[in-house]
Amino acid sequence: MIEICGLSKSLRGCNGELPVLKNINLQIKDGEFLCIVGPSGCGKTTFLNIIAGLEHAKRGNVLHNGLPIDGTSPERLVIFQDLGLFPWLTVQKNVEFGLKFKKLSPKERREIALEYLDMVNLIHFKDAYIHELSGGMKQRVALARALAIDPEILLMDEPFAALDAQTRDMLHLELQKIWVKTKKTILFVTHNVREAVCLGDKVIVFSSLPAVIKASFPVNLERPRRIEDHGLMEIVRQVLAELQFEIEKVFEEEFDAKENN
Amino acid sequence: MQKKIIRQIIFYSILLILWEVVVLLKFWPEYVFPSPLKVFATLISGFRDSSFLIAIGISLKRIVIGYGISIVLGGMMGMLMSKYKLVDDTLGGLVLGLQTLPSICWLPLALLWFGLNENAIIFVVIMGALFSITIATDSGIRNVPFLYIKAGKNMGAKNMTLFLEVILPAAMPSIIPGLKQGWSFAWRSLMAGELLFVSLGLGYLLMIGRELNDMSQVIAVMFTIALISIIVDKLVFGRIELGMRRKWGTERNI
Repeated sequence: MIEICGLSKSLRGCNGELPVLKNINLQIKDGEFLCIVGPSGCGKTTFLNIIAGLEHAKRGNVLHNGLPIDGTSPERLVIFQDLGLFPWLTVQKNVEFGLKFKKLSPKERREIALEYLDMVNLIHFKDAYIHELSGGMKQRVALARALAIDPEILLMDEPFAALDAQTRDMLHLELQKIWVKTKKTILFVTHNVREAVCLGDKVIVFSSLPAVIKASFPVNLERPRRIEDHGLMEIVRQVLAELQFEIEKVFEEEFDAKENN
Repeated sequence: MQKKIIRQIIFYSILLILWEVVVLLKFWPEYVFPSPLKVFATLISGFRDSSFLIAIGISLKRIVIGYGISIVLGGMMGMLMSKYKLVDDTLGGLVLGLQTLPSICWLPLALLWFGLNENAIIFVVIMGALFSITIATDSGIRNVPFLYIKAGKNMGAKNMTLFLEVILPAAMPSIIPGLKQGWSFAWRSLMAGELLFVSLGLGYLLMIGRELNDMSQVIAVMFTIALISIIVDKLVFGRIELGMRRKWGTERNI
């Protein structure tokens, strides 16, 4: 379980300190699929990085199973926006990579890697190199690589943003299937409201800078959900209404800044 | 592929014919400008009486030792420069400056330090390759995308394993060209070094040819030297680069 209490964070910009996150309080329960949406540049990625241990909180407590988060850990595994798959390794070796740091024999590593490659339907591509795969296949390798390590929580940072619509729809279904099967805790950051409602048990809306939690929407719809399901529409509309206000605020601020310059 | 071979055959045939024509025109006496056939005969007899083979063996041994040492030293210097600001601020500038110095300039010093012997030549070879390898290693490591390091750390790689399993392989595409450049600098330094005294390598064979006014030997040795560089370039570096391009997907013509 991840507990976040009174988390604040500023980044050093060219005009001094820029407050990014302000007094965030949140609990991520075990097995929960939590989505965060917010206007672009609102600190969603910073928030995810703090939970990953890649950045430090300025104020407040971030606890993982009751212990403060200090540095990264394979228990909190990030799937980066650009994935960070290793081009010098084959698909299978990529999936095996994180297993090297657990006490496993090469045979066990291979078996686990193949099991997860099978789960994402890429067993036939185990000997391929990363550049030989399509965008959607790369996403699935990254997912298999993360799941093979068996982390407590998966942190996904807009992983599907660069994909075409069909591939994304397919991955939405696949991710839900895998989530049901593995019962992993997932924190999923996106700017796409439909995606968030389609995937999450709960959707949290971040405000524009400095980000506070604007609203929280539970999503109790049956799975697997598809992005075009009618049931989603009502919640999407509510989330969008919250978000619209924030997006307009960002626009106005940027416009004013330009005028003043 | 076939077209390429035919083109090459035609090109080299024309070159040989032109060479023969110049010989027949007798601008220079035969012993100064030998015909291709004569050079070929020298090449054959050189390999037959094994004088060429011995020279090749001696030269190769020197370059393997010298180049090997510069890979180890250059690799370590590059790593230290990329890791420690202090080393970069101090050694980094010096390395950049020294790289512009042709390695043969070290020969006078080497002769004074080590005397007229093997070590002097190997020292010059090391100086030839060292700085290219250092600079390539340093910039290769520096330019590794931070994403790979973040991902590696997140999955549990630390310190030495992070370096060996993530940073080094990610830097390889920039390090290999540096190794290749280092090789060609080392080879040139070796030839220059061997020219200067009784060193028994290929360079020395060139000098003997000059002293005996035997230009066909000089040209035959030049062929041999070029041939060895081409073979190493194609067989060693060519293969490494091809393998890397396949993995990284930077191969052309697909």
